[in-house]
Amino acid sequence: MSVQEILADDHDPDRASGAQAVVLSTRIRLARNLAGQPFPGWAKAPQRQEIAERCIAALEALPRFRRGHVLRMSQQADLDRAVLVERHLVSKELAAGQAGAAVISRDQTCSVMVNEEDHLRVQVLRPGWHLRGTWNLAEQLDDALAGALPLAFSDRLGYLTACPTNVGTGLRASAMVHLPGLCLAGQMDKVTRALNQDGLAVRGWLGEGTEAAGNIFQVSNQQTLGLSEDDILKHLGYWIKHLVEQEWNARRKLALDEGEKFVDRLARSFGVLRHARLLSSSEAMNMLSHLRLACDLGCLPEGLRDQVDRLLIEGQPAHVQVRHGSPLDSDGRDLRRAAIMREALRAFPEVGAPTL
Amino acid sequence: MSVPLKCSLCAEVATVHLSQVVGGKVTKVHLCEACAGKGGAADPAVFQLADALNAPGPAAELTCPRCGFTDVDFRKRGRLGCPECWETFGGALSPLLAKVQHEPAHVGRAPVGVAPAGQLRQRLVAARAALAAAVAAEDYEQAARLRDEVARLEAALNPA
Repeated sequence: MSVQEILADDHDPDRASGAQAVVLSTRIRLARNLAGQPFPGWAKAPQRQEIAERCIAALEALPRFRRGHVLRMSQQADLDRAVLVERHLVSKELAAGQAGAAVISRDQTCSVMVNEEDHLRVQVLRPGWHLRGTWNLAEQLDDALAGALPLAFSDRLGYLTACPTNVGTGLRASAMVHLPGLCLAGQMDKVTRALNQDGLAVRGWLGEGTEAAGNIFQVSNQQTLGLSEDDILKHLGYWIKHLVEQEWNARRKLALDEGEKFVDRLARSFGVLRHARLLSSSEAMNMLSHLRLACDLGCLPEGLRDQVDRLLIEGQPAHVQVRHGSPLDSDGRDLRRAAIMREALRAFPEVGAPTL
Repeated sequence: MSVPLKCSLCAEVATVHLSQVVGGKVTKVHLCEACAGKGGAADPAVFQLADALNAPGPAAELTCPRCGFTDVDFRKRGRLGCPECWETFGGALSPLLAKVQHEPAHVGRAPVGVAPAGQLRQRLVAARAALAAAVAAEDYEQAARLRDEVARLEAALNPA
């Protein structure tokens, strides 16, 4: 199985239709380790390899991963690894090392990173806002995993992990949210502070330490010990619901207060994407964010939102290069990216007034 | 696994990695223990981990009998060596856990086939709180029921 096949398999109806107005995707991550084995960061190379093969063999045998993909990082080209990161199928850390692997289900909903910071990082990623459904899948997968491998677990501390910030449930529940309204209204600092104070982390598009381009943020729980899985999910759910309300309030207020000026802003972004000859990744993401907002507000047909979401991925540096067929320097990427956007937006209608 | 990052303020290997969102822009800071301890970033919550890592721990060298990992290694990496390290360093890690985690004990799921002590513990915590509330409200009938419930859960958690 290869990264090419993952790229080719891009027309899953669930992935296309699942997009909702504010939450781009819901993710559950569980950190798990094998009992009695050194963590990947401390294991010697041969041990790491042995652990990886043991995990991969167990995962391949699970029904969820039947006819799925097994990708050993050491066997993947640089660009292919970068594509996996841009698709949120593996972390930057896993892609940077040689000892890791990713086992990905055929529908790309479930993936397990092997030998990241922990032996196993189970991940379930679904488009839109589906916290319970995503959790249920992760729980099933976790149970299947526990039946196949002896997991490191202590009665007092729960699932034992390499880092103290993951011990206990090992659960990181997160939502990828698109917040152009709150960003344009200058309220994002305040929102981030409030979330931080209540135990939630706010990160950029590709996780820890990445830029918040395109007004897209990842919101996740910070604490994993002393709270049950249900507590963690409820807490995140409460805040996401609140965040979605706040975002819609900000959008309505902007549309009402600014009127034509607001529509002009969105239309200008459309103009840039439709006609520019050079587009950097962050400029494209910021303009696409406005286009997504235009779809949400009825300035563009809502049905075009999925195409905008696809362009957010297609405009990422590694995706641009893979589509081109060979590595490109920064200028070359900007040229190709602009061509991709021009072509994709050719059939888009004009940006009209919002239908709020 | 990945190349060690250098401290943003000096040339030491960075063990503390901070991300901050200001004005919609995420900035990332990598600090060594010494520089992290001096502060400088505005977010106190993020700095709790740095503070805790820098807090003077037990001077004695602890070594995991299973994997040879030491407390010095933990200070360098911020990660443990193997699952058994949690036994060896559990006590030394308590102050850190108290800062970065909600409560010191697991109350969540357990692997299939392992008794879900976490869930019992959660029910015990809830029953104790309800008992205190019932006593405060002078609802002694309810309190008596809850006292039995607490005793049952305690017995289930500590069979000895």
